[in-house]
Amino acid sequence: ADVTLRMHQFLPAQASVPKNILDVWADKIEAESGGRIEIQRFPAMQLGGKPPQLIDQAIDGVADIIWTVSGYTPGRFPRTEVFELPFTMTNAEAVSRAYWDLAQETMIDDDFKQFKVLGLWVHGPGLIHSKKPVESIGDLNGVKLRAPTRVTNSLFSSLGATPVGMPVPAVPEALSKGVIDATVIPWEVTGALKVSELVKNHTTFGDDSLYTTTFIFAMNKERWDALPDDLKAIIDANSGAEFSAFAGKQMQMDDDGPRQLAVDLGNNIITLSPDQVAEWKTAAQATTEAWVAEMDEKGKDGTGLRARALELIEQYTAN
Amino acid sequence: MSMLELGYASFPILLLMIFLRAPIGLAMMLCGIGGLYFAMGGSNMFMAKLKSETYSTFSSYSLTIIPMFLLMGQFATLSGMSKALFNAAESWLGHRRGGVAMAAVGSCAGFGAICGSSLATAATMSRVALPELRRYGYSGGFSTATLAAGGTLGILIPPSVILVIYAILTEQNIAKLFLAAFIPGILAALGYIITISLYVRRHPDAAGTRAPVPYPERIRALLDVWPVLLVFGLVVGGIYLGWFTPTEGAAVGAAGTGLIALVSGNLTWKVFVDSILATAHSTAMIFFIVLGAGMYNGFLALSQVPQELSGWVIGQGFSPWTVLMLILVFYLIFGCLMDSLSMILLTIPIFFPVISALDFGMSPEHVAIWFGILVLIVVEVGLITPPVGMNLFIINAMDRSTPMVQTYKAVMWFVASDLVRVVILVLFPAITLFLIP
Amino acid sequence: MERLARFMAIVGGLVLTFLVLLTCVSVLGRGLNTFGHSDLLNYVSKSLADALIATGVSPVNGDFEIVEAGVAFAIFSFLPICQLYSAHATVDVFTNFLPRKLNRLLIVFWEIVLTAVILLITWRLYAGMQSKMANGEITFLLQFPVWWAYAASFAAALVASVVGIYCAIARVAELISGRAYMPHSEEAVH
Ligand code: NA
Ligand code: NA
Repeated sequence: ADVTLRMHQFLPAQASVPKNILDVWADKIEAESGGRIEIQRFPAMQLGGKPPQLIDQAIDGVADIIWTVSGYTPGRFPRTEVFELPFTMTNAEAVSRAYWDLAQETMIDDDFKQFKVLGLWVHGPGLIHSKKPVESIGDLNGVKLRAPTRVTNSLFSSLGATPVGMPVPAVPEALSKGVIDATVIPWEVTGALKVSELVKNHTTFGDDSLYTTTFIFAMNKERWDALPDDLKAIIDANSGAEFSAFAGKQMQMDDDGPRQLAVDLGNNIITLSPDQVAEWKTAAQATTEAWVAEMDEKGKDGTGLRARALELIEQYTAN
Repeated sequence: MSMLELGYASFPILLLMIFLRAPIGLAMMLCGIGGLYFAMGGSNMFMAKLKSETYSTFSSYSLTIIPMFLLMGQFATLSGMSKALFNAAESWLGHRRGGVAMAAVGSCAGFGAICGSSLATAATMSRVALPELRRYGYSGGFSTATLAAGGTLGILIPPSVILVIYAILTEQNIAKLFLAAFIPGILAALGYIITISLYVRRHPDAAGTRAPVPYPERIRALLDVWPVLLVFGLVVGGIYLGWFTPTEGAAVGAAGTGLIALVSGNLTWKVFVDSILATAHSTAMIFFIVLGAGMYNGFLALSQVPQELSGWVIGQGFSPWTVLMLILVFYLIFGCLMDSLSMILLTIPIFFPVISALDFGMSPEHVAIWFGILVLIVVEVGLITPPVGMNLFIINAMDRSTPMVQTYKAVMWFVASDLVRVVILVLFPAITLFLIP
Repeated sequence: MERLARFMAIVGGLVLTFLVLLTCVSVLGRGLNTFGHSDLLNYVSKSLADALIATGVSPVNGDFEIVEAGVAFAIFSFLPICQLYSAHATVDVFTNFLPRKLNRLLIVFWEIVLTAVILLITWRLYAGMQSKMANGEITFLLQFPVWWAYAASFAAALVASVVGIYCAIARVAELISGRAYMPHSEEAVH
């Protein structure tokens, strides 16, 4: 190969995101370049460091290509949080398209200026997995849970739950030992963490989605600039808006298997009625408002971001 | 030179540096830095890695268990607790041939039941048992080897940091893996005790003798163990019943032993400072090695040596049992050189899919659990195999009067005991899977 | 120099002790909070349960982050005493066959290399701190700037560098003069 690129990420190779999204992308590029590009895959943080360092590894050239969760480094990609606000997410494909567009408009020269962005997407609807059934907000009172993002963390604090901080891999043990009573993740992740074996209740929000998480798939800028134009064209053709939409859609599809597993285990899958969801939405409003105010205060136009994000989501969801 | 060749070339260079008295963590670090330098044709890569990797290694929450358990061990030692535990074992076993060493293994097993780290178990129990072994005329190499082997019970008997990592990498149930490790852990302790009795038969002058303790005194020694039972019960019970995580358990244990030391009047400011200084020595040494291993492993992964090796193994078209044997032998060989945690992190993502694809005539979950326990044991053997055995280094650092070579000689007996156990567990998977529903 | 290394180790040890206590308080707070919400206590006495919850007992918010930042500082603080007392693990099996003079040369050599690596680590930690300052990264729950934690570790690493330089110079001086300047020199062991 003329060019060898090192792709680094935090999940084991057999997990669904590497298998169904990242490898698909890499295989296509290797094939279309006629073998001129080789993409070496380093799963499970094999090149060293912890997941929060992935983005710096792409910036500093420790890895050439990385996939990471933007919330792993709170404060660095504040604008991405607009898609993580409660009940903002509709479906992962539409929101991923909106995320890509909004990033082009507001983030590419600021939050993301230190690297080449290859893809931006979100996962399927996030939900609550708990030992005791959670239907009303009152059921959250005193529940110790691990929340996945800065936004969900303040959401659940304000709803009366007790957030407990811990890294994702610690969740199964913490659940089995009762260190936490509940966790908040999409179905796709419950497979790897065996959550359905550890808790019996799953709270879903009907056609609405409690939250989602934003991901960044990025490349080192110098490596990108050094590529010959024809190879750049091959990578560009396989990246961007369409790839982001594909990745979001695929992640939501990967929710099905683990969800079926919970059904097969005879777990209690709670679907809240539209009236119940409306109560949750009202209660969550304060979190959204606080986020908008915080961003406005920091000079990042939270009001504008929120409005534009909702507009884009509506546009893509309607299609 | 290709990256792969660089990777292979780094092994002899690492060994040479270590044999020339380089601090082990430093040697790994230099090989990692040097390897990255030549592989990338410049210093950018390692300079970038060092920006955050030292901090992230030192700030690792899961590794916090090490200084906390070391501190607990210090407090327990100073308040006479880990000594009481050892004394109780010793009063019942001490008069036998090699009995003090057997007691050391027994108390290591007890400590291992609350400590998830082999290094911490080895370090803590050595502080208690090493002076006693030497006092009763046990030879230096035999004493250090016994404790190095006993220390491995720290990761073998649950809870175990390595098993937690394995469970997450392979998406297996942690509680089931802990349960599966229980019988092999007890077998390990029994194996070491048998090894000790064989060793003292072969080397009668390696162990001193002591008079049997009268029964009333043995009972009293058992009663003296109550603070130990209290704290151990709180920590073990708390971790198993879900009152807290292993790291929190370590903190509760450290605070509990500290409190008991304070109440018993043993904890003066000077004593407190001494225990901090001792904790500081061991902690800094261990983390420097972890840091070096991290750098070196980052380079090895980049050079694709582990990937190439596993690709070669699959390419040969061997039977499932041959592949399993090759993997276990691979771990034994690499265990001579590498850090166990990094080795697991580096290789399980490669080997596990290989093993999962083979038919051992068991359910996939059973294969995963059984393989996990086997890997745990061979990795644990790596902690005591020369030349690079973490436990050996740690204990030898505590007993500078014993030359390393004597430890190496004696520890081979325990390595042999481990190998026998691995063969038994490979041949009879039912032993490992007995407690699994 | 020994006093500086000891002082640093004790400061690190006090931080470690604080983390131990903080974790215990968090465990206790979580336990009492769970108890207050438990069916048992609410069955026995609703008012007692409510009173317990009203005290606001709960796990310490962000304990996890404080432990991570604190333990990094503690370990950096432990490095100087480890180097000063030559506590780093080494293998002397093979060098024992070599002449004593050569052994001492090797010890001096590795001491200098170790010091160089500690200086490198300290310098890179500073670079890491600068990039954390520039990119505004904060922690997950308490939302304090990550560079604060880097700065604390950097301060401890600076002391480790100073002690390292002292050790390297002392080793060279020992080699030249034949006298012992380090607490655990070759002479002190054998
Ligand atoms: Na253990
Ligand atoms: Na070894």
